Amino acid sequence: MSFLSPLFLAGAAAAVVPIVLHLLRRRTEHRVRFAAVALLKDAPVEQSMQRRLRQWLLLALRVTALVLLALAFARPFFRAASASRGRLTVVAIDTSLSMSAPAQLAQARQRAREVIRAAAGDVAVVTFSDSATVVVSPTSSQSTATSGVDAMTAGFGSTNYRAALAAAADLFRGRSGKLVVVTDLQANGWDSGARVGVPAGVQVEVQDVPALPENLALTDLRVDHDRVVATVTNAGAQMTEARVTLDVDGRTSGRAVVQVGGHASADAAFGGIQSGAIARAVVDDPRGIPGDNSRLAFLAGASPASVLVVTTSGDLDKDAWYVRHALIAAASSQKAGGVTGVSAAELGTWTDDRLSRFAVVAVLSSRGLERRAREHLAGYVASGGGLLIAAGPDVDGEVIADVLGTGSPLEIKGADSETLALAPADVRHPIFRAFGGDVASLSLVRFRNTARVSAANCQAIARFTSAEAAVLDCAIGPGHAVIVASDLNNRWNDFPIRASFVPFLDQTVRYLSNNSTRGADYLVDDVPSGVPAAPGVVTIDTGSGQRRAIVNVNPKESDLDRMLAADFYAFIERLRDSSASDARIELSEQESRQHLWQYLLAAALVALFAEGVVAARTA
Amino acid sequence: MAARDRQFLDPAVVARLGTLELKARTVVEGFIAGLHRSPFKGFSVEFAEYRQYIPGDDLSTMDWKVYARSDRHYVKKFEEETNLHCQLLLDVSGSMAYGSRGVSKFEYAACLAASLGYLMNRQRDGVGLVAFSDRIVDVLPSSTRAGHLRNLLVALDRLDVGSRTNVAKPLHQVADTLTKRGLVVLISDLLDDADAVIRGLKHFQYRGSDVLVFHVLDRDELEFPFDRTTRFEDLESGDEVVAVPGAVREHYLKRIGALIDRYRRELGAAGIDYQLLDTSQPLEMALLAYLSTRSRMA
Repeated sequence: MSFLSPLFLAGAAAAVVPIVLHLLRRRTEHRVRFAAVALLKDAPVEQSMQRRLRQWLLLALRVTALVLLALAFARPFFRAASASRGRLTVVAIDTSLSMSAPAQLAQARQRAREVIRAAAGDVAVVTFSDSATVVVSPTSSQSTATSGVDAMTAGFGSTNYRAALAAAADLFRGRSGKLVVVTDLQANGWDSGARVGVPAGVQVEVQDVPALPENLALTDLRVDHDRVVATVTNAGAQMTEARVTLDVDGRTSGRAVVQVGGHASADAAFGGIQSGAIARAVVDDPRGIPGDNSRLAFLAGASPASVLVVTTSGDLDKDAWYVRHALIAAASSQKAGGVTGVSAAELGTWTDDRLSRFAVVAVLSSRGLERRAREHLAGYVASGGGLLIAAGPDVDGEVIADVLGTGSPLEIKGADSETLALAPADVRHPIFRAFGGDVASLSLVRFRNTARVSAANCQAIARFTSAEAAVLDCAIGPGHAVIVASDLNNRWNDFPIRASFVPFLDQTVRYLSNNSTRGADYLVDDVPSGVPAAPGVVTIDTGSGQRRAIVNVNPKESDLDRMLAADFYAFIERLRDSSASDARIELSEQESRQHLWQYLLAAALVALFAEGVVAARTA
Repeated sequence: MAARDRQFLDPAVVARLGTLELKARTVVEGFIAGLHRSPFKGFSVEFAEYRQYIPGDDLSTMDWKVYARSDRHYVKKFEEETNLHCQLLLDVSGSMAYGSRGVSKFEYAACLAASLGYLMNRQRDGVGLVAFSDRIVDVLPSSTRAGHLRNLLVALDRLDVGSRTNVAKPLHQVADTLTKRGLVVLISDLLDDADAVIRGLKHFQYRGSDVLVFHVLDRDELEFPFDRTTRFEDLESGDEVVAVPGAVREHYLKRIGALIDRYRRELGAAGIDYQLLDTSQPLEMALLAYLSTRSRMA
């Protein structure tokens, strides 16, 4: 038995007090010369032996109560066997897409078995791709660990070393040992975040599984007007002939053969695609990674993530230079097919069908937005479209309120002249969630002028330092509108020249396009909950209806560039000897699971109660 | 203090008075003074008959109203009831030495005996004394002489508590020696075999005497107020019992209550007057009980 706070055991010394008092106060009984003693003789008179026993029982109860109290405060617990054992070996096996080739996986299993066989002490097995899973908790059974290794399969996720090392390091909990990472040392497995901490007492070792010498991957599939373009990437050193097949809604629509240079990419274009909903391109690559040989894309609605920017003149270089370049730079725009500009006046001449081809419409100006154009936009949102509104100097609140409908009274008032900063009010909102720890960078933006926006059905997801709403998320039927209470063209603020502008705009467009009922595309790494993390076409229940979505593997996983083991170790930060604190935390958790102190306290109370009863009879 | 309480003297106060005579006189005179409002007044001397005057008769007994009506001299003849002889049986056993409130049962009983003697002597009743423990310790025959009261008080004053109790044996001895029918007053704590005591008292009845029993107990003996573990030592036998009062109180009170109930029930059924006296009660309560019995006999 161990104690979390052994100093409290000193309190058990208080048990001496009743013993001393018992000895000091021990005396002969009170004597009374009485006449009617005969009437007492057959009473349940306590004999001296019984009385002495009762006194000793009383003393024992008092001492017991005090000792139990001291024990309870010392927080005792039975030390779990796992925490008291010695070294631990954790095998973290890379099961990302890049390891899914049969030869890769077999090598990884073999390395892991060898590590387990050579391990002294307990063994645990962790598998990881974009997230880590503890397959076998620390165990002394090597056969159990080996079974876990044999049962593992590679998935479609991308490599995330940070998640792997963090999960593995958690298993040590103050124990020393070895962390063996079985991986292909994919260079992009480390993201750009801070280094990951591993306890100083844990030795990290990489078991290198050589990468495939050659691999063809479909890293992009996009719709460019009436063409479908598939990008094939060659991870090998030699130029390769890639055979690409395009299926539209399950029917083969074209074949192409492209020459792809070593460590290079090439596009295979398929023209004449007039109809269909979903395109699937497949590259013939029997020797490479099977999971990255195909890719899916929506055809219906042309480009689901394409953005239409509504400005005063329609000239994006003039009216929306920053927005245009930010959207182009963003990954989501690259996948989409570009940014289109249109003047507010010209929008009135468009048809609903043409407007519906865009996943997101960004309204930077309402000047010239005639009644017909407003109806188009209102219908667009009502059918599930995403609307981004920059409430800058060119946006009239009444016009926007008209667009969003009478059910959403929107009010955009005049500008303030105070310089303000911005802070997310809901960091869990999808727009800000991707910022992670860098969300504070948004506070660097200086807003010289802002609009006061208030509307029903809108949630302020970011606020200015004046407490006014800065970014609002409005649910308009099945559609969504995100309103920024300032402009996005470097006139009222310096947001466009800040590093956070591009990710903000990218995440906003992603959010709005994913909310669209027409369809959404996800990477395996970030599928919504309930959606299998595997490439394919899925149906998602949105609450207000169902919509189809496509899931593709992350193209970065097809980049087989490797890093040196030394570079891998460079991302690991050695925590100062945290074994003591880790052990303390582990012991504390064990103690809190057992909560023996509660039983001891209850026993002490029972002893005190019994003491009270016996004392009353002994007085 | 209520008016009723002021009528009687606290036994502890009486006990602090000097001589037994003074104690008895204080009790009885105060008691008699209170009796002017009581139903007992005038019973001691009764009108008997008219008799024709004979020279030599005391002129103070002449009934002048009769002379005025009939022109004849008559004197009123009174019959004095002095033929009652009372025997005070006083228990002086060791158990009578117990007292918790400034007065022991023995002191209370002696004062009661002295008061009764004083009262009887004042009424010209004959009064005698038998003191006993497990045997008869002292005997003073009954007499109506004026100086007899002093002898009684001196005898009481010389008494001290003795050893063990055996109430029955002296009772039978006294009963066997009684030559005149009268009143027997037993003053005792009756902490003895109840059957033997009752048989002894019935022996007096068999001999034609009326019996009045004063059962004297201390308040402690009635209430058992002890609260800490105590070693109880018997006043007579020296036996010791260690008891936790909280544990034995209920049993003790049941036993003492049963004893009292038994005396009250069986003595009452035998026509023996029984009076339980708590030593914290005024002695006048006992005198009232005596007078009640005496009036019935008259």
